[in-house]
Amino acid sequence: MKSLSKKKGDMYYAMALTIPAVILALFFIFIPIIDSVIKSFQDYKVRNIIANLPGEWNNFDNYKKIFQSGALPNAIVNTFSFVILVIICQFVLGMALALVLNSNVRCARFFRSIMMTPWVVPTVISALIWMWLFQPQYGLFKYLVSVFTGGSVADFAMLNNPSTALLGVSIAALWKQIPLMTLLLLAGLQNVPTDILEAATIDGAGSVRKFFKITVPYLSPVIKVSISMSIIENFKQFPLFWTMTGGGPDGATTNLAILSYREAFVSMNMGSGAAVTTIWMALMIVTIGVYNKLFRTQDLT
Amino acid sequence: MRKVLALLAIVLVVTSSLFAGGSAESTAPASAENPLTIKVANYALLESGYEDFWNGVKEGFEAQYPQYKIEWVTAPYGEILNQVINMAGGGDRVDVIFGEEAWVPQLYASGLAAPITDIIDADFVADFDPAVMDVFTIDGGIYGIPLYVSPFILYYNTELFEQAGLDPANPPKTYDELLDAAEKLSQLTDTNGNKIYPFGQTTASVVVSGNALISMIYNFGGDVFTEDGQLNVDNDGFHQAFEMLATLDDLGYNPQNAKLKDLRNLFALGQLAMYYDQSWGFNGVTSINPDAASFTASAAPLAGGDGTGEAVLCAHCFILVDNGDAKNEAVNAFVQYVISEEVLNDYMANVTPAYPAKNSMADMTAVAESGVLKGASSSISNVKKVPYVSAMSDIALDLCTLAQAVTVSNTPVDEAIDAFVRSASTKL
Repeated sequence: MKSLSKKKGDMYYAMALTIPAVILALFFIFIPIIDSVIKSFQDYKVRNIIANLPGEWNNFDNYKKIFQSGALPNAIVNTFSFVILVIICQFVLGMALALVLNSNVRCARFFRSIMMTPWVVPTVISALIWMWLFQPQYGLFKYLVSVFTGGSVADFAMLNNPSTALLGVSIAALWKQIPLMTLLLLAGLQNVPTDILEAATIDGAGSVRKFFKITVPYLSPVIKVSISMSIIENFKQFPLFWTMTGGGPDGATTNLAILSYREAFVSMNMGSGAAVTTIWMALMIVTIGVYNKLFRTQDLT
Repeated sequence: MRKVLALLAIVLVVTSSLFAGGSAESTAPASAENPLTIKVANYALLESGYEDFWNGVKEGFEAQYPQYKIEWVTAPYGEILNQVINMAGGGDRVDVIFGEEAWVPQLYASGLAAPITDIIDADFVADFDPAVMDVFTIDGGIYGIPLYVSPFILYYNTELFEQAGLDPANPPKTYDELLDAAEKLSQLTDTNGNKIYPFGQTTASVVVSGNALISMIYNFGGDVFTEDGQLNVDNDGFHQAFEMLATLDDLGYNPQNAKLKDLRNLFALGQLAMYYDQSWGFNGVTSINPDAASFTASAAPLAGGDGTGEAVLCAHCFILVDNGDAKNEAVNAFVQYVISEEVLNDYMANVTPAYPAKNSMADMTAVAESGVLKGASSSISNVKKVPYVSAMSDIALDLCTLAQAVTVSNTPVDEAIDAFVRSASTKL
């Protein structure tokens, strides 16, 4: 009887300890999300916030306007193009760097330290640095392209061309994000059991075979988490886009984050901004869900 | 017992984090011993070249009015409006916002901007040019008071004009003359062999670029909105302005997708012969090249099509928030203190060249002796008001997208205008 009450006591104590986390999640995550979804169906502008006036149901007007403006499909395509491009390049380059740093290369610790520099630079500063590198009149990239093409391409302007602007922002994102991906993969690589790798070597397995049959399976939990983080990070990428291009030129870098910001904070229409955010959130949930399902399938094979 | 104490500590931390903040305000009358603080939102304090002036304003105002104190609310240029609105949403309203005339519609729509006639003395307001005050008028109320004004004027480099065999005393007056001059200027290179752009019109995706584009449409006698704020783009001037942008782009005369600061950089470095800017943009030029005054002159905006070169009037202004009589009295004193020849003369002479908005300041030495502003002085009387549109800033960005479509994307002008109409009409 006494042990049962102790068990109950421990259970209540454990529940009490989780209350702060539950309250914080409720107030700062769940309620704002529900509130945002409700506002996406309302006429709710900045005036409502300041005057503390409730929003009014507006018969799906926010959604209708977003679809009528023609901006949404372009923003969705840009968002997914950016996410896919950055994640593929980030994973390949991050894995290559992690493998190099995990080998017995000289000064590995030193390289590991300086490699983290871009990661600690604030995103807006990274954007400004890359804007200057891509500057169309006196930027370093313009000069390099001119040199490597023998002067035949003398006016290369990465961020001014609608067909290359998204690539320009992706390069800036990669520069900033590859260090974290590398660090996570490196941590995973250091946990791959060396005795199994040695056994495979004795059995005559080559480097490529060992990598795909031993290293990657052992790394898969780390890969899964790091790519999930990367999908979320790039799906909601805003500061790089807003600082480097503002969504231009000609809408070539307008992603869902930019569209949402413009609706909510440039047009001062919170209801419309909430509608974009709701669509954006739904797409992100579906994307992460599909990714998790695919990755689980891969695990089983 | 330890468990109970631990739980109490957690509850305390959570509740204090949820309900922290807030302070009681004194209701005693303002005095030197118990000064009243007014909050002034001011992005300029974070920009190079302006901090000394505004700190001097605070020091001078507090010395003259010891019963008042100024508390700056700062954020970068692009964020200050959101900062002010977010604060107001949380119940913390600033008293004054230093900003641009283009911010007035947003702040009016948000319910923050108060009619200045409710706060500022009538005789002080009466001294302002009615045409200037019309820019700040929405539904019969005046919602901003300008420190100084400027249309988008044409700055040009007299040395490059001479090198191209053009008369620096006779800058182009029409877009046709611009194209003739540009052909000669485009042959020049700087001492390092870099290209020199003949003309600069900002088209990058920032709100001020959209305002510059509206000004260019007005140059051609065109319109963007009807008087009651509806879209009105089916006019020759609107089409001609974007056809001109496409022509300038085809000929390689205009730096593509440039922000005003990019144009200022190029102009300061001698790589841009002419460009449109607000008069105070010259501060950005001199911050890069302190000798820029030696080769800079200004001219009235160009006329195109059937237009007369009308332009959008820009202003740095105060937008006021009604926070009760005591605060309003302090704001009244602050506004009248700042918008005076004593405070603004040195600033307009050395930092921010501009035209005064007050009639009694028309002959101040900062203007009379300004070499760079002289050429464009007639433009101040050829301005046109942008009708009130609450989503003005977002539509300004749509105009930038339209300009980019006809330049960097080579979209046919009519097709690009159709896309603009589709997007902008959903915001009105």
